[in-house]
Amino acid sequence: MTEERKNFSGASKYVLDSELAQIVNVSMALEMPLLLKGEPGTGKTMLAYAIAESLGMELIILNVKSSMKVIDALYQYDTLTRLNDSRFGDSTRDVSDIKEYIKMSKIGQAFTSEKRTILLIDEIDKADTDFQDDMLDILDQMQFDIIETDEVVSANKRPVIIITSNAKKDLSDPFLGRCNFHHIAFPEASMMKSIVDVHFPSIDKKLAKNAIATFYELRSIEGIEKRPATRELINWLRALDTDPEFKTGKLIKNKVPFLGVLFKKSQDYERATMHVTRRKIF
Amino acid sequence: MFINFFYKLREVGIPVSPTSFLTLQKALDKGLINSMDDFYTSARSILVKSERYFDLYDQVFANRFEGIALDDNDGLLIDEMTQEMLKGWLEDPKEMAEMLGEDEEKLSKLTPDELIEYFKKRLEDQDGRHDGGSKWIGTGGRSPVGHSGHHKGGMRVGGVSKNKSAVKVANERRYKDYSRNRPLTTADIGEALKRLRNLVPAGAKDRLDIDGTIYQTIRNGGEIELIFDQHMKDRLKIILLIDNGGWSMDPYISVIQSLFDYSKAQFKDIKTYFFHNTVYDTVWQDPSRFKKPFKIDEFVRLDPDTRLIMIGDASMAPYELMSQDGSIYISSRSGQPSIQRLNFLSETFKHCVWLNPVPERMWPYTRTIQTIKEIFPMFELTINGLEKSIAQLMAK
Repeated sequence: MTEERKNFSGASKYVLDSELAQIVNVSMALEMPLLLKGEPGTGKTMLAYAIAESLGMELIILNVKSSMKVIDALYQYDTLTRLNDSRFGDSTRDVSDIKEYIKMSKIGQAFTSEKRTILLIDEIDKADTDFQDDMLDILDQMQFDIIETDEVVSANKRPVIIITSNAKKDLSDPFLGRCNFHHIAFPEASMMKSIVDVHFPSIDKKLAKNAIATFYELRSIEGIEKRPATRELINWLRALDTDPEFKTGKLIKNKVPFLGVLFKKSQDYERATMHVTRRKIF
Repeated sequence: MFINFFYKLREVGIPVSPTSFLTLQKALDKGLINSMDDFYTSARSILVKSERYFDLYDQVFANRFEGIALDDNDGLLIDEMTQEMLKGWLEDPKEMAEMLGEDEEKLSKLTPDELIEYFKKRLEDQDGRHDGGSKWIGTGGRSPVGHSGHHKGGMRVGGVSKNKSAVKVANERRYKDYSRNRPLTTADIGEALKRLRNLVPAGAKDRLDIDGTIYQTIRNGGEIELIFDQHMKDRLKIILLIDNGGWSMDPYISVIQSLFDYSKAQFKDIKTYFFHNTVYDTVWQDPSRFKKPFKIDEFVRLDPDTRLIMIGDASMAPYELMSQDGSIYISSRSGQPSIQRLNFLSETFKHCVWLNPVPERMWPYTRTIQTIKEIFPMFELTINGLEKSIAQLMAK
């Protein structure tokens, strides 16, 4: 690798803790995929955007779907167009040349790109274990075969690979063996403060402080199924910030508005409402 | 390098592969790791592949590298220790003298400054760190001045450094929550139940069947004929039989509640029935086991492909299971022992499991668990057990 080593140190809208920065840099230098786990809404996907932004690299996102096969992520052989062309023959494509009908999908695009890219494989746990196993070889060899044309596509520049997973359970061992791993823990209040500052540079200080305190309190309610995460807090602050009634930061002691932004399951919403009303009474 | 560290990690049960250890060496070679903190994070990300082991890793790391980190701040440390010792001396001179193995009188003649010098000298005498033993400073020994020693009034050394070192971070054990032995949560159950599905074609024919289309088109001599197909939909039928009676099930109510909630959300075709301890002639559709009885014999009319999940502690008096009128409710005594009913269920539905909230290591102590285990494949109601039971249910 003659390219000068670039280091990642955060982006304009992403607050990076030093631990994660080190891990990202090590993974990039070792050319190993980085597997990120953590509660939904703690910025796993955002990290890839942030790296792309700060290093000025192109970001290619593969959104994994439950029915996906690995081959769908590599390339597509457009049978239907070819069938159509062979029947009607009214296109400029050469029907006898199968290559005309091979299109690169996300992983293929990342491999064939002239520049080093960032490949985000988002929510890999959605697909079944076969998908992960098939992915192994490709990540290992950095190349794949196009069966139809018997061609081998290998990566021009090894892309930086970020893989995210929401699963509580582990991915298969061989797969893990080829990745570096990090679990993004839920940020502490002080970290959260700087995240809020980055997103709302002009927000009322008191409002931010109260909102964060209330947020952590609501998060700790017993028995909540989907606890609100950073994403929810940001959205909530955005809502509060636009509402003139709360903008001044007076809130919140007795009234917690827009609970629906934080709690999206009806049971959770009820629990949170109960918690808030009870606080008002006593 | 760090080979002992590697083996220590394996020893405590973290699955660290040699390959990943070599990767770590590569990272060291390339000069990517320049400080203790770097090493802590990089080694964790390279060696440890699940947050469940982070806590263990922290403990091993703290244990392995604590000494090194302490060495870095020797001067500072000794100053602080001396302060502590001085404080201890002022509070209880007798004990301090005893700990140092010196005569109290002799020490009390010293001026405070001399005393501090003396303490420092004693501390510096220590050549390197040692663990155990009953002298000087170390961890876990009976030494008065060490980390978690047994000695009354012993002082705590670990983690006094001013900077937040990697060892300090490791000592904080931030990942305790994620370790393996936490209780089952709804999300976990969801993860496990997702595997439970039976895909069958259903609904309108709106998906283009490419292979079929090509086949038909060629049969037509090149005239394109489009073939459509149905989507695959999940049509799994599930019967949930829950033991909700008696004190013995009380501790498990919340975990069963969440399993129940989740499966209701997850599966469209799910029937739930309740029983107490074991099954006799009837089960009930209402949790109070009163209003809506359902005859066991009726189960025969249901689809035999239905997956049957029994949940209960399977713990009762043996006669409840074996005797002809074993039920503790007179009204439900029928002449057939419960064990026959259970056999009937497991024969009717060949895909069946029994989930038991009682920990597996306790099973051998209850006879009825042993008996029922022979009728139904029994699994512990934990993440691992749930996953195994799903595999059992989906087996052909």
